Amino acid sequence: MAGIGFVLRKLSKRDDLSGLFQAYAYSALISTGPWMFTIISLGSISYLAGKFTTVETLSEFRRVIIYNFSFSLVFSAPVFMVVTRYLADAIYRKDVEGTPGLLIGGTALIIGTQLPLASAFYFFYAQISTGLALAAIVNFILISEIWLLSVFVTAIKDYKSVLLAFGTGMGFSALTSAFLVDLFDLIGILSAFSLGLCLTVALLVARVLAEYPYRFKEPFAFMGYFKKYWEVALSGVTYNSASWVDKWIMWQAPESDHSPTHLFLYPNYDSAMFLAYLSIVPSMAMFIMSVETNFFEAYLKFYRDIQHKASLSEIKENHENILLSILRSSRNFLVVQGAISLIFILMASKFFTAFGVNYMQISIYRFGVLGSFFQVMTLFINIILSYFDCRRAYMGLQGLFLLSNAAFTFISFSYGFKYYGVGYYLACVLTFVVSSLYMFHYIKRLPFHTFISTNASVG
Amino acid sequence: MTTDVCLVLEGTYPYVSGGVSSWTHDLIKEQPHLTFTLFCLVPPGFKTKMAYEVPGNVKEIVRVELQKLPKRLSKVGEKRKQKLMQDLIGPLLKLQTDPSLEDLEYLVTLLKEVGEIGREVLTDSPEAFDLLCQMYEKTLNTSSFLDYFWSWRSLLGGLFSVLVCPLPRSRCYHALCTGYAGLFLARASLESGRPCLLTEHGIYTNERRIEIGTAEWLDDRQSLNLNVDQRAVRKSLRDFWIESFIGYSKLAYQVAESSITLYEGNKELQIEDGADPQRLKVIPNGIDYEAYSRIPRKQGGRPTVGFLGRVVPIKDLKTLIRACSFLKAAVPEALVWIMGPTEEDEAYFEECKELVAHGGLEETVLFLGKVNIKEYLGKFDLLVLTSLSEAQPLVILEAGAVGVPSIATDVGSCSELLYGRPDEDPQLGPGGIVCPLASPSAIGEAMIKLLGEKELYEQCSRAIKARVDRYYRKELQNQAYRQMYDELLAMPDVDTLARVGARLPSEI
Repeated sequence: MAGIGFVLRKLSKRDDLSGLFQAYAYSALISTGPWMFTIISLGSISYLAGKFTTVETLSEFRRVIIYNFSFSLVFSAPVFMVVTRYLADAIYRKDVEGTPGLLIGGTALIIGTQLPLASAFYFFYAQISTGLALAAIVNFILISEIWLLSVFVTAIKDYKSVLLAFGTGMGFSALTSAFLVDLFDLIGILSAFSLGLCLTVALLVARVLAEYPYRFKEPFAFMGYFKKYWEVALSGVTYNSASWVDKWIMWQAPESDHSPTHLFLYPNYDSAMFLAYLSIVPSMAMFIMSVETNFFEAYLKFYRDIQHKASLSEIKENHENILLSILRSSRNFLVVQGAISLIFILMASKFFTAFGVNYMQISIYRFGVLGSFFQVMTLFINIILSYFDCRRAYMGLQGLFLLSNAAFTFISFSYGFKYYGVGYYLACVLTFVVSSLYMFHYIKRLPFHTFISTNASVG
Repeated sequence: MTTDVCLVLEGTYPYVSGGVSSWTHDLIKEQPHLTFTLFCLVPPGFKTKMAYEVPGNVKEIVRVELQKLPKRLSKVGEKRKQKLMQDLIGPLLKLQTDPSLEDLEYLVTLLKEVGEIGREVLTDSPEAFDLLCQMYEKTLNTSSFLDYFWSWRSLLGGLFSVLVCPLPRSRCYHALCTGYAGLFLARASLESGRPCLLTEHGIYTNERRIEIGTAEWLDDRQSLNLNVDQRAVRKSLRDFWIESFIGYSKLAYQVAESSITLYEGNKELQIEDGADPQRLKVIPNGIDYEAYSRIPRKQGGRPTVGFLGRVVPIKDLKTLIRACSFLKAAVPEALVWIMGPTEEDEAYFEECKELVAHGGLEETVLFLGKVNIKEYLGKFDLLVLTSLSEAQPLVILEAGAVGVPSIATDVGSCSELLYGRPDEDPQLGPGGIVCPLASPSAIGEAMIKLLGEKELYEQCSRAIKARVDRYYRKELQNQAYRQMYDELLAMPDVDTLARVGARLPSEI
């Protein structure tokens, strides 16, 4: 027959609209975990180790740990973000047999990339003893491995065993440091921390393998994802740099400790900020739950109904429900987080007295609380955007955060102590405003994006 | 460059081999004094590979991927896009319900005014999505939006790609089917003012109807609705498809100076789709009578029945094999040769062989595989064709030229070939027997009758030979097209709208 016949048959198969996006959503969670881990373990180790050693040793220990947390997060981000994506796809396809291989491949890549970076840093840049450098490098790689493992354990969503793994590891650290600090001082305490991390890593690996009891195969199958999802890899670096860039800049401030090790810190700024971040912990937990229930239900219904031959008016109604659920969650969040932040600000002096914190930090801390209020709101938007797989936009928004945080911090830095922390705060506000405008603009046109701009079958 | 004839082809020559393609290939070769442009509509993502060596008088090949609009870097403002879509919606909706050339012309002008645009505006912009939603709301607002979406993109994407592609310059345009090719024909007529011609082998809308009717993905929630009244009132997505194609056909019939088919039977379907009976023509395909009529015939030997064709379900060989049981009972020494490739549908071939074994017909029915037709045409007494669907089977004519009568099912032009067209003068008499579809007993009886009644057989043999000689010579077909092309080429430029408008009263 003349005429093109196979168009119809081809059409029938083109029904792959539905979101595998939901599987990606947890990648947004990944970005919050490390922060919590950093702050909590720093706090608890400082507290515990303080009982066995001198203030000087402890501050040198904190110095190495902060550098390790900060840079391992940034440098290993491309690996763990891409692994996240790969794992999410595998889970969505219900084809998780490659997970043990992925874990091995990811670990190999982490070691392969982080070892030279950390070595270069500690041997050539930092002015510290070879022994300490070696211990620091080991610790650096272990922390990187924790970032990677957090991808897998977040997917399992067994938070209890995660807590157990970290608790056991850190407890073991505390015990061993009591012995090692006497023998090797700073190196001892650092190695004790590393030993604890080793235990945590082992427990987490065991948990992952228990969940995915398959043979190791094709460990580097995920490498192709670097090309396909380069935006994801880049966003990982950008996001994590953005969260740290104000600290990096402030470490150069005249008030910083200018340590001869070249590993500068500005303890007043750092601990003020860390303390400020604590203000977002409670609402984050609540908030993730509200995303998981309200929003996710509306989201699923939107896509499922399309697949199940919904009419446009039904699709529009579902679309509205998505918007409503976002608005509702935002409102609740705003109220709760607003109240908490307010309490953190108003009670600042009480906290400072209670924890024995230097009063110098109080203004930085207040800007930190305000900034983290907006940062966590932005995080909410990021989670929503990741549900819709807006990779480019996500990358752009992270870029904006990085640049504005760097620029504003730099400016506030040049205005002197009174303005420290303002840069971070303003960057958070700006990123939040742009992100929310983008999100609402995007969601307003959700049907269009669903059917055309993000539909792989179109084009 | 201006060529004499632009052939508008959809999914066929020169990329896909088949009946229409070889017909086109011959047409071009037989008109060596004319130059041709091939305007080929191909499916999106189609890999171009020539299936024919294009003759030298083809001067230009234009290839357009249907639905795959080019992506252009047009900088059309949001306001302008919105206005374009608002202007488009009226004529687009009318094209499905009540198509008119005025609307088509308006569409073409609208699209031209915006300048160089592609899918970034027409199908992939937020404004185009709004247009889609509005069209949905105005027509099928309770059907599956997802299915509507894909249907819209397919149908409108096809429409746009045919309307915005460059128009090759030719002195006349000849489409080889309706559908998108027919739509393009209408556009070419409007834009160039040059005369147009349409040849249909199968009837496009009819074939689409079958295809759309069996497309399961179009099953709507509505069609599950058992309330008959509602179903009758509400339109379904299937109607969206079929009405669009009928609309395109109607436009093609309106602009074509003549709409040609292979046999009378098709006319009814064309008239149903809105063709003007006055301008319908039948030009059957012809064969090389001289060459076939010289093939010597077998003398005596076992009575032999031949089947020529692929061993596939549409040829309904099982009916033939079942009919052979009747034949064997009456004429035990009879032979049945099945000549044609068997590898296309191996499973079906196996089933046929089992059926032969089951009927104890191993000595009667023989599968010869693919044969040289000219070598075998003289070696059997009777041709049998049990197809469920045919247009104009040339093999009846080829056998007829040799003097072999045929038994055929009542499909396509078979009855016209065997019994003559209604206006045949003088009447030449039957050249065989026409049987109902899928009736082993009728086929069996017909075989027994023709092989048994010497006189009837000779009459049929003479009649079919005379009919082929008189009406189905290749020269006649070539001459008819040559004459038609000459007429078209001599015509002055016309204002299509005025011309069609003037013709309209006769159509009502």
